Amino acid sequence: MTTRTICALTLAIAASAAFAQAPAQPAAQPAAAAPAAAAPAGDPAKGRAKTQMCEGCHGIPGWRTAFPEVYSVPKLGGQNPNYIVAALKEYRAGERTHPSMRAVASNLSDEDMANVAAYYSQPSMKTASQK
Amino acid sequence: MNPSLLRSFVVVLALGCSVTALAADVSAGAAKVKQICQACHGLDGNATIPDYPKLGGQYPDYIAKALRDYKSGARKNPIMAGMAAPLTDADIANVAAYYASQPAVLDSRY
Repeated sequence: MTTRTICALTLAIAASAAFAQAPAQPAAQPAAAAPAAAAPAGDPAKGRAKTQMCEGCHGIPGWRTAFPEVYSVPKLGGQNPNYIVAALKEYRAGERTHPSMRAVASNLSDEDMANVAAYYSQPSMKTASQK
Repeated sequence: MNPSLLRSFVVVLALGCSVTALAADVSAGAAKVKQICQACHGLDGNATIPDYPKLGGQYPDYIAKALRDYKSGARKNPIMAGMAAPLTDADIANVAAYYASQPAVLDSRY
């Protein structure tokens, strides 16, 4: 009887504690989500050192791909870092198919990608001078 | 301006621009952007959500290529597949021209 009562009371206290905590969770969620949304912790200086493979196309204004289809190579300076990392990972995984980009991305580690993204995502000189 | 000079000007312009950009209607593109793209990419293309690319001042033929690939499934993204599916070739050209015409926050960098 006493053991049962203690058990029941313990359960009741635990349950009420759990329910009491439940409403607090949505408020805590944005704070928890914030670090995931923030820029990957890359090192722009290390990223700069890895751009030899990028600059031949992405460093030249107006440069176009020649194969397999002709279109302008996208501007990357000032781009959102998470997007750059996502794009590189998709090339590495073969989910994006451009042959040159697949070859380049296959030589990059996750850390390299974060570093390259940190370098390219720095605000452009254009934007910085306008501020 | 005399006609032959005008003609050569147009030819030079046509060579300089992509085919899609040439046929594009920027204000029709703006209308589509307000309906479909703005929520994530921003009206001026300066996406503030870090996962989504900035498009302001990006090359129009690159934007058009990306949209065509999302539409065809060559590039796989569940969100963009849904957005690109209803776009016609003209819509794609217009949207691309609109975002390309926005003040650039992007640059070519080495």
